Parts: sequence; structure tokens; C-alpha cells
Amino acid sequence: MLEELAASFPILSCLLFLPLVGAAVLWLVEDEDMVRTSALTISLVELALAIFVLIRFVPESAAMQFSEHASWIPGLGISYHLAVDGISVLFVGLTAFLTVLVVIYSWDTIRQQIKLYMMCVLALETTTMGVFVSLDLILFFVFWELMLIPSYFLIKLWGGGAERHYAALKYVLYTLLGSVFMLVGIALLNLNFHQWAVLHHTDQVYSFDLLDLLTVPIPLSQQILIFWLMFMGFAFKAPVFPFHTWLPDALLEGPIGMSVVLAGLKLGTFGFMRFSIPLLPDASKSQTVVAILMCLGIAAILYGAIMALIQPDFRRLLAFSSISHLGFIVIGLFALNYQGLQGSLLTMINLGFSTAGLFFIAGFLYSRQQTTHLSAFGGMAKQVPLLASYFLLIGLASIGLPGTNGFVGEFLILLGTFKANWVYGAFAVTGVVFGAAYFLWYYERAILGPLGKAVKSTMPDLQLREMIIAVSLSVMILWIGLYPSPFLRIMNGSIQALVDRLDHGTVASLTDSVQRQDH
Amino acid sequence: MNFELNMSLSDLLLLLPEIVLTVWLCLVLIADFAFPRLPKEQLAYFSIAGLVATLGCLTWLDISNITGTLFANMYVLDRMALFFKMFIVGASILVILASIEYVQKFAFFRGEYYFLIVMSALGMMFMASANDLLSLFVTLEFSTFGFYVLVAYLRDDVASNEAGLKFFILGVFAAGLLAYGISLVYGETGKLVFSDMTSAQPTPGLIIGFLLIFAALGFKIGAVPFHSWIPDTYHGSPTPVTAFLSIAPKGAAFAILLRMFFVALASFKPMWVVLLAATSVLSMTYANIVAIAQKNIKRLLAYSGIAQIGNVLIGLAAGTKMSNDAILFYLLTYLFANIGAFAVIIAVSHAIGSEEIDDYSGLNRRSPFLAFSMLLFLLSLAGVPPLAGFIGKLYIFVAAIKEGLYTLITVGLINIVISMYYYLIVVKKMYIAEPNDPTPITISTPLKVVVYISLAGTLLIGIYPQPFIDWVVSATMMFSHIGAPASTMIPPASPFGG
Repeated sequence: MLEELAASFPILSCLLFLPLVGAAVLWLVEDEDMVRTSALTISLVELALAIFVLIRFVPESAAMQFSEHASWIPGLGISYHLAVDGISVLFVGLTAFLTVLVVIYSWDTIRQQIKLYMMCVLALETTTMGVFVSLDLILFFVFWELMLIPSYFLIKLWGGGAERHYAALKYVLYTLLGSVFMLVGIALLNLNFHQWAVLHHTDQVYSFDLLDLLTVPIPLSQQILIFWLMFMGFAFKAPVFPFHTWLPDALLEGPIGMSVVLAGLKLGTFGFMRFSIPLLPDASKSQTVVAILMCLGIAAILYGAIMALIQPDFRRLLAFSSISHLGFIVIGLFALNYQGLQGSLLTMINLGFSTAGLFFIAGFLYSRQQTTHLSAFGGMAKQVPLLASYFLLIGLASIGLPGTNGFVGEFLILLGTFKANWVYGAFAVTGVVFGAAYFLWYYERAILGPLGKAVKSTMPDLQLREMIIAVSLSVMILWIGLYPSPFLRIMNGSIQALVDRLDHGTVASLTDSVQRQDH
Repeated sequence: MNFELNMSLSDLLLLLPEIVLTVWLCLVLIADFAFPRLPKEQLAYFSIAGLVATLGCLTWLDISNITGTLFANMYVLDRMALFFKMFIVGASILVILASIEYVQKFAFFRGEYYFLIVMSALGMMFMASANDLLSLFVTLEFSTFGFYVLVAYLRDDVASNEAGLKFFILGVFAAGLLAYGISLVYGETGKLVFSDMTSAQPTPGLIIGFLLIFAALGFKIGAVPFHSWIPDTYHGSPTPVTAFLSIAPKGAAFAILLRMFFVALASFKPMWVVLLAATSVLSMTYANIVAIAQKNIKRLLAYSGIAQIGNVLIGLAAGTKMSNDAILFYLLTYLFANIGAFAVIIAVSHAIGSEEIDDYSGLNRRSPFLAFSMLLFLLSLAGVPPLAGFIGKLYIFVAAIKEGLYTLITVGLINIVISMYYYLIVVKKMYIAEPNDPTPITISTPLKVVVYISLAGTLLIGIYPQPFIDWVVSATMMFSHIGAPASTMIPPASPFGG
């Protein structure tokens, strides 16, 4: 985890700032079609860069790769430190992939202020990329907070619902509330490093760098305090039940593109895996923390699934199903064994395809009936067979049917949970049943059966752009479902390092740091 | 105590910036009377030239590291004094630039306006160097006189008159408290210079005396519970004066507060930490909650300013060298964001003649530049990364967390969330609401320059703060013994590793 492979070329910086520069360039473009084409080009170049990173990434390695380092504010120990490892590199690809799809989807569904919209989407891409590739905690925090600004405008200006102003404000304030606690946690980590560094007379007395912070031991009581502070930040963002109340509003009221990013990229749980667990291993495996997190996870699974069961509106259903899925991720993480962590990470990626995919489907339905409420549908399969088929495929992936990506991730999580404690596992399994129930029940009512009264007699099936989105998502879903090993190979090394870190706690890291100095 | 006035030429050097500005001040006044036909704009640029010359002197003194004391320790010129002087002169230049268009509204005394601004600046420059209780009183009053007039400058406007009266009465009251406090402290210790008082015992008289002095300075910086004049005065004053009032006197007063708490009262630290923490919590919480209900943008910024001072007081409560750096740095970030925000207000109210938040509806359609600038200034005030305000808040919090002020920090952080709410109200109006009148807003060139400088400052300090941090760290070197271990010294900029 502490090993670094430096990049010969600052490719992560390019990845990070290309969309932002692109957004600035878009400002100069006047013609609307040019805006669309340029945004697509920028996002495709970004995707190409991300794929390049994925291809050149050394699998089965715990090293931080493509590392770039420059001092930013040395007085406070803040640096510009980027790198990816097995945990974050897949998110980089996912972010670039989803942004391309969002741009394609928004091509003709966004009718007003398209330029500003595309600028916001690209700015959002930069900030999410920043969250995934930053190793310095302050740099990470900068992007974490900065994300709120484009999100706020996206929900507020292009949201479809009447309550969008409320939803945007709620989203911003909730996330901000969580992240200010996280900032205290980050500052405490820095303070702990400082005290240790002063005691050992190292050259550098302040640091916010993840790799530096990993080398110092932290007393257990301190770890637990920091854990809960950071938990607030990640739990609000994820959102972990019971901090989830902003999510249904934001997903329902915001534009589809925003919902895709919000629900598809599991930033909060990524934060647990990237920072909380490795930095605070002793707190993460302390009994109280595990018990609370497991209970929250199970509560989220059941609550989300039961709420999803009774939602007549598809987007609201998806919001609650997201909450339910997040519960799975949380119990997988806090099973704290290899399978659990691997399953959680894979599920985070999978949901990027399946949940995001379902939001696109919701968008397709919306553009045909101007609503996603159940009352407007019924017997759609006759009208739009292609849409219905992709809907089924992506939906089945989200409930974890064998052969789709969802199965691999969910299976690993359950395996890990049963290994950790079968009681939690038993509860989690019921969530799978509910998951199948809410999706299939909605699907049956909306798509199968007799033609609904409100369904228009002529309804276009999937258009070219919609086909591109549906097909590319389906390819990814089947790829991970049938042949997951390239993805697992990428994450293996880092997951193993994480498990080792959990086994040894922070004290063992003392020897690591000595070794690091020897190199 | 007998004073001997024996000054050499090298002593005069320490006073060079003030001498330059005093001479220039007289020239401004003479020019105004001697050439009544001279356009007042020229007078503004003439004043700016003087301030720039002063800034040049200050920079030169700073670079050549000339420091020293004068008049039997009454007047001190050290790096910190130089920092605050540059801060004040910089603020004055920006304020005068922002005033040029506004001043044309005045029916009378347009020339004297610039004279008064420069005079207040001069007074505040002396404040930054005040090193004993007498010079504290004299310089504080000197700097306030200019403001008494400036606040009531719109003499046909009831609000402005009210503002002037309130400011005057409360200001004189504060001066009374100050004089009383000084006499008590002098009576107890027999000393006037801050650095001589370090061995004083905390007798009741001394404590009351310092509390009274703190109240008077609290009035200057506008901390709760000494804030009551702020909303009405900010509201009624001519907007450029409000901008000036919201920055420069606070900086000057903090120079004195730092000297008083860190030098004279260093041994009483456990006692004043509680006092400052309480003031800070009150300022942040009260101001942020009241700000939510404001309809007038100047009042909103008045309350936000009180809350910002609460944040600065967190740093003062931490009471270490690092927190001292953080205070200086924070004030610097506050300078750019606040002057910028007021410049936008001046531009908007010049065009639409209103300062109500409702009238900011659809500003983005009318002037994307102004709306975007305002967005950045407000976000910087709220502390959103990567703008200057974020680094400022982070700096303060890191300094405070090292001292274990967890409660204070928690309150501060919750207040950030509250403040975000009312800043977003303005953002919402500018970007989401439809404009009542879609005509574009034009901005005069000097005002545009102010907005550009403020934008540059806000972005630059946020993205590349290191040179500014180096500056404030070196400006407070004389406090490096405070906060005990030598380890609190910031290491020199060095690449990471090892």
C-alpha cells in the first residue's frame, strides 16, 4: 500500500483537469450543436485516457501507481499527490464511462441552457475524478466539497420536479454538514502525525498525505473518535441509513444525468475503503464499530427494500433500492475479510453500471410518458420491445441474477458476511429476496400485462443514442458477470494489502515505515 | 516617567510611510481647495498615488527588514505592524477605486471624501504600531474620527444620518470604556507599555481594566455582544464606506488585540481563552442565525462579517504562534472576498438603485460577470475549497485543534453549514430567479479593476497559498516563543519524503 510507482507522464493530472479545461473551452463555443459535439469529444478523450490507465495498470499489485507528487502548501503539510491503486482505478474508468453516457443521453433531452449544462457535467467529472485519485486528504476534501457546486446547479436548474429547489439545498447542506465533521477528523489525523513526528524528530512535522499518515501509529481511543468523525462525512454522502433522507429528493427532482452520477458513483463507501479502514484499522475492527455498522447496513438493506416495494414512482423506487444496495456494500466492507471487501468494491463498480443503467431507463420512460409514475405505464412490452428487454437485463443485473455482474459482487459480499458472522449474513440474504420482489413486481406492472390506459398508442422504441447507451451498459454488465477475473485481478493486490493492514493494525506500520526509508 | 525626545534620522526612517502619507494627505486637501475646478476623479487617483507610494515604502521596509521602536517603546515597527499597514493601505486603495463612481452621487464635499478616507487609513496605520495603552487610545480615536464623518456622508438620507449618530454615540461610549480601562490598568500596574506588563498579577482592578479595553476593541471588530451598531451602520453608510469599515478597522484592531493578548497578557492565557472562546461562539452563532432572516444585502454581509470575526477569534483563543499566523492569513482572505462582494454591491446598486436581496434576481442574466464574481466571493466567505476562505478556515481550525479546542471547532463547523444556507439564498436569487428587468448592467472601469483584483486574490490565495503563508509566518516571528515547544515552528518549505 505504501509502495509507489511514479508516472513518467502526468496522466492523472491530465485526466483530472481535461474536463475542467474542456468546460472552460465550451464557454467560448456559441453554437449549440458545436457545444454537444465538443462535450462528447472531450468526454470521449477522457474515456480513452481512463482506458489507457486501466490497460497500463499493473494488476495483482498493492502499489500506488501513476503517482504524481508536488508540494502545494508545505507550511501546513498539504501536497498535490495523485495516484491510483486497485481500489480507485476502476472508479476512474467508471466515472469517464458514465460521463460519456450522460453527455449522449443529454444530447436532446436537455433543451435549455445546454452549454451551461454540459459545463456543469464536465466540471462534475473533474471533481469526482479528483475524489478518486487524490491521496492527500485536503486535496481529496477540496474535490469532495467542490462537487457540491456543479451538483447544486444541475439539480436546481435542470431538475424536472417541482421540489427541485428544496432538493438541491437539502443535498448541499446535508453533505456539507457531514463533511465539516470529516474535516475535523482529517485535522485530528494531521495532529496525530504531528505529535508523532515531533517525538521522532522527522524532517516533516505536518502532513495530510495518506501514505504518510499510514506510517504513524494512532491510539485506539483516538482512532475511534476519528472514525466516527469521518463516518459522518462518508455516511451523509453515501448515504448510509439513517442519513439518507436527501437522496430520494435529489434523485427524484434532479435531472437524469445528475441522478446517474449521484447513484452510480458510490463516493461515500469509496471513502470508507480508501481512508477510514486503512487509516483506522483498529477502530474499524473494534466490536462496537463493527456491530453498529453491520446493524446500520442491515437496517438499510431491509428498509430500502421494503420502501422500494411500495413506491409507485420508478425513480423513487430506484432511490430506495440504492439505499438498500448501499446496505450490502456496508456489510461487505465491515465483514472485514477478503471476500467481503472484494465483493463490496466490485458491487460499487457494478452498481455504477446497473443503477445508473436503470436511471437511464427511467429517463427513456420519462421522455416517452413525461413521468415515471406507474399509472402511466402498463403493457409497454408490446409497444417498445427493445426498451423492455434492456430494462429486464439491467434490472436483473441489479438484483444479482447469476450471469450478470450483480451476482458476482453480491455473492462475494454474502460469502464474506457469512464467514464473519452468520447472523448478519442471514439477515442480508432476505434483502436479496426483497430486491428481486420490488424490481420484478414493478417490471410486471409497468411492462407486462395488458396495455395501460395512459399509454400512447404510438410510441417510438429505442432511438440510436438510447441504443448506444443500453448496449454499452449491457456489454459491461455481461462482461463482468461472465468473465470478472480481469476486474478482480486489478483489485486483488490492494484488497490483500487492506486485509493485511486490518490484521496488523497501525502498530505494525512502524516496521513498514522503516522499510520505506531503507529503499 | 520622563520622556526625552531625541530622534535621529534613522528613527525617522521607521516613520517614513506615515510621513509620506501625512504629507500627501495635506496635498490632497490643498489640491481640493486650490483647484476647485479639478475633477474629483483626479483627486481620487491622486490619493491612490499617495497610497501606492506609501505601500512602496512599506514594502521596502519589509524587504530590507528594518524594524525598531520609537518614542520610548510607544511606537513599534515590526514585521507584523508592516503586515497590517500593508493590509490597511491595500484596503484603502481598493476602497477608493470602488468609490470613484459612487462619489458622484454626493451633492457636496466630494473632495473631502478622499481626504477622510486617507486620514482614517493613516490613523489605522498608527494603530498597527501602537505598543502601549496611550498610543492605543490616541491612534484608535484618530482613526475613528474620519469614520464618524464618512458614515453620515449621505446627509439627505435618514438611514445614513441614523447610522452616523449610532456609530458616533456608541463609538464615544466605547472610547469612554477604553479610557476608563486604561486608567484602571495603569493604576494597578504603573505601566503603560505592553511588554512591561508581563509580570503583572491578576488583581480585580487589572482584570476589570482589561475587560473594559477588550470591550472597546470588541466594539471595533464588531464581536458579539459589542456588535449592536454594526447592522444599522453598515446599512446606512455609503456602500464604499461600509466596505472600508468592514475590513480596515478590524485589521487594525486585531493588530492591537494580538499585541495585547500575546504580549501583555501572555501569562493570563488560561483566563482569556475562556473569554475569547465565549465571544467567538456568541459571534458566530448569533450572527449566522440572524443573517438568515436578512432582506438587505448589506445587512447580510454585516452579520456575515460578525460571524467571520467569530472565526478569527477562534484563532485568537488558540493563542499560539501558528494561530497567530492563521489570524493574519484569515484576515487577508477576508479582505479580498469582502471588498469584492461590496464592489459587486456598489455596481449593482448603481445600476438598479436597490440593495434588497430580492432585486438580485436574475443577476446572471443581466451581468454574468458580476454574478459569477459574487458567487466566488460568497463561496470564499463560506469557506468552500479551493477558494481563499477555505484555506483560511482550515488554517484556523488546524491551529485550534492543536490546542484541543474541540468544542469551539465543532461550533465553528456547524456555523459554516448555517452560513452556507444564507449565502446560497443570494446565489439562488442571482442564478435561478428571473430578473424583473432584463437590461444588462454596465460596470465602470475602476470598479471592474477592484473586482478583478479581488477575484485574483481570492483565487490565488486559494490555489497557491504558500507565498502568503510564508509571509504571515515571517510577519509573526516575534511570537515564536508563544505556545511553548519549539516544534510549533513551521518548517521551511521542503519537498516531502523520508
